[in-house]
Amino acid sequence: MTFAALIESKEMLETVVASVIAGLGVTSAFSIAIWGVGRYTELSSRGDRPLAATGAALVAAGGLAVVGAALVFGIVVMTSN
Amino acid sequence: MSSDVILVIVICTALAFDFTNGFHDTANVVATSISTGAARPQVAIAMAALLNFVGAFISISVAATVANDVVDAGVITPTIVFAGLIGAITWNLITWWFGLPSSSSHALIGGVVGSAVAAVGFDAVLTEGLVGKVLVPAVVAPVLAFTVAGLAIGIIYRIVGKQRPGIVSRGFKHGQIVSGGLLALAHGTNDAQKTMGIITLALIANGSLGAGADPPFWVIFSAAAAIALGTYSGGWRIIKTTGTRIIKMDAAQGFAAQGAGAAVILSSTHFGFPLSTTHVINGGVMGAGAAKRVSAVRWGVAGNILTAWLLTLPAAAAFGAIVYGFTHIFGEGAAGPVIVSLIALGLVAFMFLRRAQRGAPVPAGG
Repeated sequence: MTFAALIESKEMLETVVASVIAGLGVTSAFSIAIWGVGRYTELSSRGDRPLAATGAALVAAGGLAVVGAALVFGIVVMTSN
Repeated sequence: MSSDVILVIVICTALAFDFTNGFHDTANVVATSISTGAARPQVAIAMAALLNFVGAFISISVAATVANDVVDAGVITPTIVFAGLIGAITWNLITWWFGLPSSSSHALIGGVVGSAVAAVGFDAVLTEGLVGKVLVPAVVAPVLAFTVAGLAIGIIYRIVGKQRPGIVSRGFKHGQIVSGGLLALAHGTNDAQKTMGIITLALIANGSLGAGADPPFWVIFSAAAAIALGTYSGGWRIIKTTGTRIIKMDAAQGFAAQGAGAAVILSSTHFGFPLSTTHVINGGVMGAGAAKRVSAVRWGVAGNILTAWLLTLPAAAAFGAIVYGFTHIFGEGAAGPVIVSLIALGLVAFMFLRRAQRGAPVPAGG
């Protein structure tokens, strides 16, 4: 295998890794955000565990923040090429 | 003077090809969002058109691959690029006529490779670039999208499986606005760049640009505008057929499929791999469907994609070579491309009229 072909396969490998991390990472973070929203809605409607409800809301906000940061990072990487 | 005439014909043909690419692919980009009710058709299509336009500006890696890594720009002439384009369009029209699967992206590259081989010989083909940047990604990318979407939907069900369905569904419908937007952006950045690459290759061949040059701004802008207009125009046809052509899936599956497709296309674009975006998006949709229920997947579509993989590149290359041979009969000047363009326009008009009389066409993929 020549040097150029080796570089191509390294780039292909990096594409696979980046796709898996981006695809699964953003999905996981967004799912956690939805889980947080669901728990917050449930706990706040009962009204007996305000601390847990606040924690769930924070988890939701954290999940959304990770999604937002991942999108910004992706766009910055793309445009810097 | 005659080479400038050929150059103008090549640019117009490439932009027309770009327009039809957007027209064909609107369904792939917006189908999932419309199917799950995440976005109204008008909104989804307008957003897809806008983001296809924006996407064309965020990278030029794929354009550089098409212009410099597939065929030797030093031995290419505008007539060779023209013949490659017409070869690709001919193959797309034939597959469209018979309802066969195709990939506009693979057809474009195959057409140019075929015409270059016919004109110069196999020395004109940069084998390492063709294999490493086109053929290998063509096989890997759809499988990758299938796998990522399948794993993603597994993660989603594991995390939110015990939540109230209403909240989960509403959440992922909102998420699909973002994932659908990303998919449109990804589509614009990969597919519009192929046209940019072809026009840049023609400009290099004509001596208007130096070897290894990047696409000028007007090339980027016109390719972006052509694919965005194609996406918007294609959309209104899709609205009418939405109910029959779209796979039924829930919002979480739609999010997983779109997210996986966008991740694979954007990552590939970053490294300059020109993909068939249709194959990747279909791979994501099938992965999200198969993870929930294997029988839910239209495996016939998978078979069609496999056929398209095997057929499109060699068939488009053969047509590119034939068109070059025919064009060459009329000499080296502009007469050949002008005559072939007129014949092609007449043929396209005839096929559309006949098809309109016989019923709705089956679009080729991008």
